[in-house]
Amino acid sequence: MAGEPGELLQGTLEMMVLKTLSLEPLHGWGIAQRIQQMSKDVFLVSQGSLYPALIRMKRRGWLTTSWRVTVNGRRARYYELTAAGRKQLGVEQESWQRASAAVNWVMGARLVPEGGQ
Amino acid sequence: MSGFADWLERIRSIVFRGRDERELAEELQFHTDMDVEQFQRAGLDPAEARRRSALVLGGVERVKEDVRDARGTRLFHDVGRDFGFALRTLAHSPGFATVAILTLGIGIGGTTAVFSAVDAVLLQPLPYQQPGELARLYMADSANPTVRQYVTPVHFVDYRRDMTAFENMAALYTYAETGGDIGSGDDVRRIRVLPVSAGYFEVVRVQPRLGRGLQPDEENGELLIVVSDRLWREQFDGNRAAIGQSLTMSGRPYTVIGVMPPGFNDPLAGDVDAWVPLDLAAARDVDNAQNHYLSVIARLRRDAPLARAQAELNRLSSTLAARYPDANDALARLDPLKEDVVGSADRALQIMLGAVGLVLVLVCVNIANLLLVRGSDRARELALRSALGAERPRLVRQTLIESLTLALAGGVVGIVIAKLAMSAIVALGASSIPRLSELALEPRLLLFSLVLASLSAIGFGLAPAFRAARTDPGDVLREQTRSSTTSGSQMRVREWLVVSQVALAIVLLVGAGLLIVSLRNIRSVDLGVNPAGVLTFEVHLPAARYDSTARAQFYEESARRLAAIPNVTAAGGVSRLPATGNYHVWGTRAMTGRLANTREGAAQAQQRVVSGDYFAAVGLSLIEGRLFDAHDNAAAPIRVVIGRRTADMLFPGMRAVGQQLRAGGRTAEIIGVVADVALDARGEVVPYVYHAHRQFAGNRNWALTQVVRPNGSPEALQGEARRVLATLDPQLVLYKPALLGDVIGRSEAQRVFTLQVLGAFAGVALALAALGLFGVLSYGVRLRSREFGIRMALGADRRRIRRMVLREGLTVTTIGTVIGLVGAVVLSRLLASMVFGISALDPRVLLGAAAFMTLVAAVAAYLPAYRATAAEPRSVLQ
Repeated sequence: MAGEPGELLQGTLEMMVLKTLSLEPLHGWGIAQRIQQMSKDVFLVSQGSLYPALIRMKRRGWLTTSWRVTVNGRRARYYELTAAGRKQLGVEQESWQRASAAVNWVMGARLVPEGGQ
Repeated sequence: MSGFADWLERIRSIVFRGRDERELAEELQFHTDMDVEQFQRAGLDPAEARRRSALVLGGVERVKEDVRDARGTRLFHDVGRDFGFALRTLAHSPGFATVAILTLGIGIGGTTAVFSAVDAVLLQPLPYQQPGELARLYMADSANPTVRQYVTPVHFVDYRRDMTAFENMAALYTYAETGGDIGSGDDVRRIRVLPVSAGYFEVVRVQPRLGRGLQPDEENGELLIVVSDRLWREQFDGNRAAIGQSLTMSGRPYTVIGVMPPGFNDPLAGDVDAWVPLDLAAARDVDNAQNHYLSVIARLRRDAPLARAQAELNRLSSTLAARYPDANDALARLDPLKEDVVGSADRALQIMLGAVGLVLVLVCVNIANLLLVRGSDRARELALRSALGAERPRLVRQTLIESLTLALAGGVVGIVIAKLAMSAIVALGASSIPRLSELALEPRLLLFSLVLASLSAIGFGLAPAFRAARTDPGDVLREQTRSSTTSGSQMRVREWLVVSQVALAIVLLVGAGLLIVSLRNIRSVDLGVNPAGVLTFEVHLPAARYDSTARAQFYEESARRLAAIPNVTAAGGVSRLPATGNYHVWGTRAMTGRLANTREGAAQAQQRVVSGDYFAAVGLSLIEGRLFDAHDNAAAPIRVVIGRRTADMLFPGMRAVGQQLRAGGRTAEIIGVVADVALDARGEVVPYVYHAHRQFAGNRNWALTQVVRPNGSPEALQGEARRVLATLDPQLVLYKPALLGDVIGRSEAQRVFTLQVLGAFAGVALALAALGLFGVLSYGVRLRSREFGIRMALGADRRRIRRMVLREGLTVTTIGTVIGLVGAVVLSRLLASMVFGISALDPRVLLGAAAFMTLVAAVAAYLPAYRATAAEPRSVLQ
């Protein structure tokens, strides 16, 4: 379930989490914030969709977790990309680009009059 | 994704569920805190910040649920919660929970205990390799072909030489007199020693773990000994160097040649501490062809079935009958060793098995009944929850888990009950049922009963849930508020369940009743002896220090000194206590009189060797002639005293005193006739011949059991007897002290044991049936309380309503009773060998059981009937 401003497909959220984590390890709140910022407040990631997604990705072996202390001195669980996760990011990025290009082609298509040349 | 890693992660999260949950909570808290902080930084006051962040979050529990879903452990988590819920629901109805769990526990525990006993005794009675090839060989004579006799040494040697169907055979001297004393001074202890022929270890296919067995050329009573693992550890500290060392037993030095593996037990004699070579020198004396004292076991050749061996044995028997014309026409018969060992215990255990099977069915029925009641009670709850949107699979799962919780709790109680029941079974039955002492809880059987009881719990527990899932919740809710009479079909199912309970209880009641009457009958049988207060104990004299003259002197002297104890009226000794079964059964022939040297003038008679004032000590009266006195010694002509039955058989219609008979290779003059003694507790009267120990001491080392009759209470008598024995020889052991009454009763132990078990089961069955009836009637009354209210408001007589409920209960009981009685009649054949002095179809017992059941049913029905009319009509109608 995504926040109101933008409906998010499950696969898309996972891809964005992978992207976010490819820059640096982050805790859950940090991931949500980063996605919100990077999407210019279009995507609000709720806890209800973020944490199940993180668990699923961990089960698939894309992430590892560790407890660390934040700059404010609080304990938080940090997520980090594994090699498999990095590979998965590549795969998803490629297929996303293909899919979004395809969607753009479809959405940008104009009706060419029949027989017209 | 990697399937393996995925499962590993799931399992990990199940195992570390607690930690995962804690960490998740911390993580979510951190997230919320950060949100709140951020809102505050944006200028909101703390309360508003918290409200906003909560709005974003949308319910912590929901998030957690979704995370669990993602972990793949949600089912597990839910099941855990359902268990908690089940425990709480059960705790809310402690009565139902207690009855259900106890019922299950009794069913599971009782069944497991009895099945374990049956398994140990009946199914695996011979812990040897290829036990099916083992057979027991008995001799018989054509006059009494069904009476199994021991084998003579003469015949044994011939069988062994000539039989081709046997791979090997062995003779055992199982008589109790073969014990030995080990240790010295105050530490003298009696152990069980079994003289066996060579071939013994080959027949049972168990070889000593150290050293060797016995060789054929050692069958001469050589001082060799094979010790049990226990004796080896005790006497030699488990030292392997024990082989070749000397072990002093009864004053004679035996050389240890072998140590048996732990757990090895003799199939016939039970707890044996040591094996020594049997002396087969007796086989060379043809006189011994009438001397039946060896137990013989054989291992059949793999290609020779029992029938072929029996055929060969029959041919051989006729040859042997011609070879030893003096012996009775020695027939021989083979029984499978398993049958021989299990013997009559077979029937006792089968009855127990049947009883426990009935109880298990009863338990399942009761559980079904309880759960059906509960199911209809909860139909409304389930309908309501279903109407409020609970998913139906979820409802079914929850009901399932509740049933499982019950079954599990029942299982735990069952294990406890099984343990208790098994120690009770061992305590009650060990003396009368072979191998029972080796009883161990059999996990397979525990699992079996657990599964069975769980299945019944689950099956009947699920029924209401499925019904609830199927039917329209609205119907149920409407029906309940209308408080109509319950659906007829369901009531009828429950009534039939009670009918079956009553029927099963009747079967068990009849069985218990028959055994109670049998025991009373058997206890009132006149055995011919008066056991009141009589103390008995064995004294075994080591052959090394006591030759036959010394033994003869000792037993007379001990009887004299025991009789001199204040308050003792008579004391003596005997080779086997009266009414305790067969012992030294020898062919006995009249040598004078009308039947001299005829077949009619011969009988298989119980031979007893007596010392001191034996006849007075057990209360046997002299009918004619005289008893033995000091003149009947080794130098005097051989004399015997006979029982009245012997006189009637060998010397019918004449005065037996003064006649002559031949027994045990000796011709003797009859000097007296005494009253008859029963062979066993059933009171069967058989011929007896009594020999004076003074005249017979040279035959063998008779280990005479001392019999001391006090004038009054037997207390302190044992201590006195021990002191007397110590003055005679401080190294002797007062062995197996017991009261004569108890010893005689021991042959009844099996019947008593069966009765106790059957009685316990009958009690449980009765209680369950009463409970079931009570449950059904109370439930019916509750459902119809409105109807009763209307009736009473309209002026119906309370007594009539009460009668109506009572009649309903008694109708169900009567149908069950009739079915049960038919069942009891059909099953009576099973009990036929157990009942004594009463027909298995005795109408008094059948009617008594029915009356008892009806009485209990009336009590169980009265409370609901009373309750039906107790309430004020107005309160019910409102």
